[in-house]
Amino acid sequence: MTEAAEHEEYDVVIAGAGVNGALIAKHLTHAGFRVLVLEAGPGSAWSLDGYSRHLDHFYAAASKGPESPWPPAVAAPQPDTADIRSGAGYFVQNGPDKYGSSYTRAQGGSTLHWLGVCLRMLPEDFELRSRFGVGHDWPLRYADLEPYYGRAEHEIGVAADVADQAHHGIEFPDGYDYPMRRIPLSFSDQVLADTIDGMRVTLEGESIALQVRSYPAGRNSVPRGAYRPVGAVDADVDRHDMITHLGERCAGNTSCTPICPIEAKYNAGKTLAQADRGKLRVLAQAVVSKVSVDPVSGMVDGIEYQRYADPASPRHTVHTARGRVYVLAAHAVENAKILLASGLGGGDSLIGKGLIDHPALYAWGLSPVPVGAYRGPLSTAGIEDLRGGAFRARHAAFRFDIGNDGWRATTGGPDSSVVDAVTNQGLYGTKLRAHLAATLPRHVRFSLAVEQLRSEANAVTIDPRHLDAMGNPRPVISYRIDDYTMGGMAAAAEAARQVFRQAGIADCTDPEAGGWFPSVRRDGEVFHYHGMGHFGGTHVMGHRAGESVVDTHQRSWEHRNLYVVGSGSFPTMGTSNPTLTMAALALRTAEHMTEALAARQPIRQGEPSGF
Amino acid sequence: MTLPTTRDIAPGDITTIEELQDYLYRGMQLEHATIPVYLTALYSLHPETNADAWHILRVIAIEEMLHLTLAANVMNAVGGQPDLTKKGFVPTYPARLPDGETDFLVPLQPFSEDAVHTFLQIERPRKAPEPGKRIVARSRAHDPEVLQADQHLDHRPVIGPLLTVPGRPEEQFYSIGEFYEEIIHGVTYLEQEYRKQGKTLFTGDPSRQVTPEYYYSGGGEIVAVTDLESCVKALQLIAEQGEGLGGGIYDGEGELAHYYRFQQLKIGRFYLPPDEPDRPTGPPVTIDWAAVYPVKKNPRMRDYPQGSQLRAAAEEFNKEYAAFLGMLTRAYTGQPQLLLEAVWQMFHVRDGIVRLVRNPLPGRDGVNAGPTFEVDGATP
Repeated sequence: MTEAAEHEEYDVVIAGAGVNGALIAKHLTHAGFRVLVLEAGPGSAWSLDGYSRHLDHFYAAASKGPESPWPPAVAAPQPDTADIRSGAGYFVQNGPDKYGSSYTRAQGGSTLHWLGVCLRMLPEDFELRSRFGVGHDWPLRYADLEPYYGRAEHEIGVAADVADQAHHGIEFPDGYDYPMRRIPLSFSDQVLADTIDGMRVTLEGESIALQVRSYPAGRNSVPRGAYRPVGAVDADVDRHDMITHLGERCAGNTSCTPICPIEAKYNAGKTLAQADRGKLRVLAQAVVSKVSVDPVSGMVDGIEYQRYADPASPRHTVHTARGRVYVLAAHAVENAKILLASGLGGGDSLIGKGLIDHPALYAWGLSPVPVGAYRGPLSTAGIEDLRGGAFRARHAAFRFDIGNDGWRATTGGPDSSVVDAVTNQGLYGTKLRAHLAATLPRHVRFSLAVEQLRSEANAVTIDPRHLDAMGNPRPVISYRIDDYTMGGMAAAAEAARQVFRQAGIADCTDPEAGGWFPSVRRDGEVFHYHGMGHFGGTHVMGHRAGESVVDTHQRSWEHRNLYVVGSGSFPTMGTSNPTLTMAALALRTAEHMTEALAARQPIRQGEPSGF
Repeated sequence: MTLPTTRDIAPGDITTIEELQDYLYRGMQLEHATIPVYLTALYSLHPETNADAWHILRVIAIEEMLHLTLAANVMNAVGGQPDLTKKGFVPTYPARLPDGETDFLVPLQPFSEDAVHTFLQIERPRKAPEPGKRIVARSRAHDPEVLQADQHLDHRPVIGPLLTVPGRPEEQFYSIGEFYEEIIHGVTYLEQEYRKQGKTLFTGDPSRQVTPEYYYSGGGEIVAVTDLESCVKALQLIAEQGEGLGGGIYDGEGELAHYYRFQQLKIGRFYLPPDEPDRPTGPPVTIDWAAVYPVKKNPRMRDYPQGSQLRAAAEEFNKEYAAFLGMLTRAYTGQPQLLLEAVWQMFHVRDGIVRLVRNPLPGRDGVNAGPTFEVDGATP
């Protein structure tokens, strides 16, 4: 196989076409630099035809999990949320607890299947050690990231009203507002807000008032000012006409996760399509296997990648891409895996160490009045009041996501409710219909995502005994949910019970219903948890080389022409979904790279990369 | 089209505000009349097939909804009353286009080569014999095919007073573009005359204008109409999206005009800039003419047996559609925020059509049901 990319000189070589890689590629190409993006998975989601096939795949799938529209290539396997149930899969789970999250290896990355929640981190999330004596401080403060948050909200296209979002010290510049108005609150949100707003829960003697709050969403809504929503994309300009008027507004479909049928939800393909295409080359089905480092200078002098033609086969050819600067934007786990496979970690190195997630509990109940469950985006609001506060000195913070999807995620409703009514209650005919009509619209679901702190024992490692079909290492995951997080779980479960009780919602939370979810035990209480897909912490950023892997620009301390980007750089994640924060960091990194690249002459053929 | 600014323009066919409002009502009728036709064809496609046809029909149907809304904005701007609930607003299919084009009939039918032929007739570019003359002799209506179709109609197509060019019963507009050209001339003339008296034609309540806040990603940029300039802009957008700008295949926003979008289905190839009319050079269009539900052409309620589930579904659809038009009327008469709800209500419209087109008509071997759009008298 000949590889044009191998013979071309690039300013920047990026591994990964997810949100981080796409943002950096967009900005560097517009700054005039030549960029090569290597994507391990297929690039099919970048065309309307391909995206439609993923949609068909989803419709045909018996199980509608986050991965159902996005089958992995043999060459680029990915974790699947069903793996925990089956005990098999891509991750090697080293315990003691199971790591329950997944990600998508395809062009567009996990933004293909994400829900689109775009919360900013709280100012206190950046200062956990100084304010609460736990966890770590970031080397950046909220104020440092604030301008980039605003830019990221416009890059992604976030729908929210500033008036809803200024809480826990989150500040916005005067006159700032999100590019689009908030997604309308669901009927469920409105019914629950009537009951919950102003309600107080008491945790360890501390009384906290609650409010149902619209959350910022990366889904197209009513634009503000001159902003124009970005709808569906098609990389094939010959067929550009086909995507006219597609996906420029959320139409309330119910499958944000795992696939928005009209691309009204942001995916990274939209950003990549906005790059200067004349300066950009994207190679899909190119698995980065190794970073090559010049032993004398310590600079990266190439990225080795494996190109495959058939997603069903591991047959591949090996190539090397060269640029002046390299960016690993392959995902928190994949970044660590590539660095470790390149022999760049080990010993005191923090590469791979500090893996976090938001282990999350479900609480579900039967509302006294219909909430119109099973309609609209999977969720549109949350309760943010328990994301911060003095209690963080003792236990983890947590966030309520309020589902519009009934008991779908918790018990498999509404299908399982039908099965239950028929087989356990013996209902059929008009009685069955009446029963379902009386109960399904009253299904309430909270998802309680709990903060987790970095611990070096929670790590991604590699082991030559565990390889994938391409001979690349599978991630070996060591993971333990500590007492701090379990304290948060206990508080979250208690808060949910108090809300249900005060709201007159019959608590149907049954730990055994999700019996296959992994569980942890504390003081006799069992918590069944699931992953939120919020990986982080595996190449942490810091002020000093010995204490971190990257600096505040996500630039490797050891290899100064290498950037390792994404939520792996997070010292803490608070209770925010990581995408917006990593997008803000990626924009900050792109700005820095532009300045750094512009300050130096382009290298000439044959010279070592002289970044 | 340029606005005459320096010297007086002569009156055309529109000389009073009442005539203008009649024309605009007919314009709304016209824009709406295409939607049942396009939606029936769109939802007759088997799911997961015919992606090219699906997207071409989808884009055009959405743009017709924009045109309807633009026409409502113009109507409101000149103090008129948009009313989609008036008896006869929705034509009985097969119908003649409400702008007075009488040489062809527009049926409700599944996606087919015949349907594409009709779509091309609906969207045909203007062809007035000479500049300034936008009407052609009605003799074209003596097309034997149309006459034959007329004989087989189970009803006479309604030709109301608005269906002929006022004062010229023997003549007709040849295209939608020419119909709008006449309206543009009319508003320009009337505004000129009003200004001479120190008045303006545009006295409508601005709060009735549908603005981008309530209408976006629905076929292009909505134009709030408050004066002659915005009025002409709105009307030109309608005409250009249908037939292209200045004889080209693209409109002023660089989008392919409806006629040429449909022509891609006929020729089997996509247009690419800077293609010339009739000679697309893009990739092939893939069509599976067989992957279509065999929907009955021009279905009527009487095709559905009394007491049958199909009849109930068809009735329910007509009621919902009538309610939908009622909601649009309220949205166009002071409550534009209702258009946000229209987004999910359109799912109901889709589901109602899909329920019909995927079910066979009893006793009519191999023919499926379809929506009848008989909304007059169908009350929700």
